[in-house]
Amino acid sequence: MIEVKEIEKRYGRKKILKGVSFTAEKGEITCLIGINGVGKTTILKAIMALTPLHKGQILIDGKPIDKHSFEKITFIPDSLTMLPNMTINEAMEFMKDFYTCWNQKRANELLGFFRLEPSSRISSLSKGNTAKVNLLLGLALDVDYVLMDEPFSGIDMFSREEIANVFTSHLIENRGVIITTHEIGDIEHLLDKVVLLDDGLVTKEFSAEAARENEGKSVIDVMREVYQK
Amino acid sequence: MNVNFNNRDPVYQQIVRYFKEQIAIGEIKPGEEIPSRRELANRMKVNPNTAQRAYKEMEEQGLIYTEKNHPSKITTDNEILGQVRTELLVEAVDQFVTSVRSINVPVEELLDMVKEKYTENSEKEV
Repeated sequence: MIEVKEIEKRYGRKKILKGVSFTAEKGEITCLIGINGVGKTTILKAIMALTPLHKGQILIDGKPIDKHSFEKITFIPDSLTMLPNMTINEAMEFMKDFYTCWNQKRANELLGFFRLEPSSRISSLSKGNTAKVNLLLGLALDVDYVLMDEPFSGIDMFSREEIANVFTSHLIENRGVIITTHEIGDIEHLLDKVVLLDDGLVTKEFSAEAARENEGKSVIDVMREVYQK
Repeated sequence: MNVNFNNRDPVYQQIVRYFKEQIAIGEIKPGEEIPSRRELANRMKVNPNTAQRAYKEMEEQGLIYTEKNHPSKITTDNEILGQVRTELLVEAVDQFVTSVRSINVPVEELLDMVKEKYTENSEKEV
C-alpha cells in the first residue's frame, strides 16, 4: 500500500498541495483526478521522492522511500525521457543496465502487444507510439507499484484503446497502479478507486464500484457534484 | 463479447446480467466452460477485480461452479436455469408495465396491442 499523509508543497509562494492524504492499494487501480495545475504530477513526483516536501510523509508498504524502493516502484512520466536518437532496443538496454528488476521477457511481450518495431529510432516514432514506448519501459520492470502520469493525453482513440487494454491484462494484474488524468470517460470501468483533487486538497476519495452500487452514480456524476458546487 | 456498459450500474452486476441473458437465449449452454477471470476482464475491458467480483456473485447465485484446477462452468441445474429465464422475463415485464402505466391504458386494449405486436414481429423474423 502507498500511504500519502498530509503532504504539503509550495512552489515559491504558491501553495500547491495543502495537506493531501490518500492511500493506494496493491492490486488496485487508483486514479487521481483534477484539473490542470492542481498538483497531480507533483504528488506522483513526491511519491518518487523527486521533489522535496514541506510537510507530510509518504510510506510505501509501511516504509519511507529509500534507494531500494526504486526496484519496487516506478514512475512513467507524461513524456518519454530517453534520448531521441536511441532505438527502442537501445532504450531497453539502457533500462536493463539501470534496473535489476528489468524483465526482458515482459518487454518483448509488450513490444508485441503494442506492435512496436524494436529497431525503430525513438525520434522517428509517432506521438502515440512514443507514448507506448514510454509505457513499455515502465511496465517491463518487475515492480509492485506503477505511477503513470497522464498516459492518455494527446493520444488517438485507437492507441488509447490499446493502452487501456494493458490495464485489463496480466501486465498490470496484482500491481498497484496510480494514474492521473483529467479525462476519465473511456477508462471509468477500469478504475477501482478515484481520488478527486481540488485546490490543493483531496475533496473526495471513493470506490468507483461502490458509488455505482450504493448511489447509482457514475464517476462522472460524482465529479459533477464535487466540482460544480 | 462486446458489452456496452452503462456508467451508473455496478459493472459486476452488468456482467452477471450479460451472462444471464446469454444463458436465457441459449448462446451459452449449460455445462459450458467460461473464460477465466483474467480473460474475461480482458475481453470485456473491465478491471480484473470487477471480473473477479462478477464471478463470485455468479458462484453465490449458483449460476457457475468451479471444480479444483478446472475452468469454471455454467451450471447444469435446470431449476437455476429456469429461474434465470423467469427473472429476466419478470424484469422486462416490470419495466414495460411501469412505462405503460403512466399512459393509463385499459389492460384489455393493451393486451391486444401486445399480442398483435408480438406476433407481427416474430413473423417478420421468420
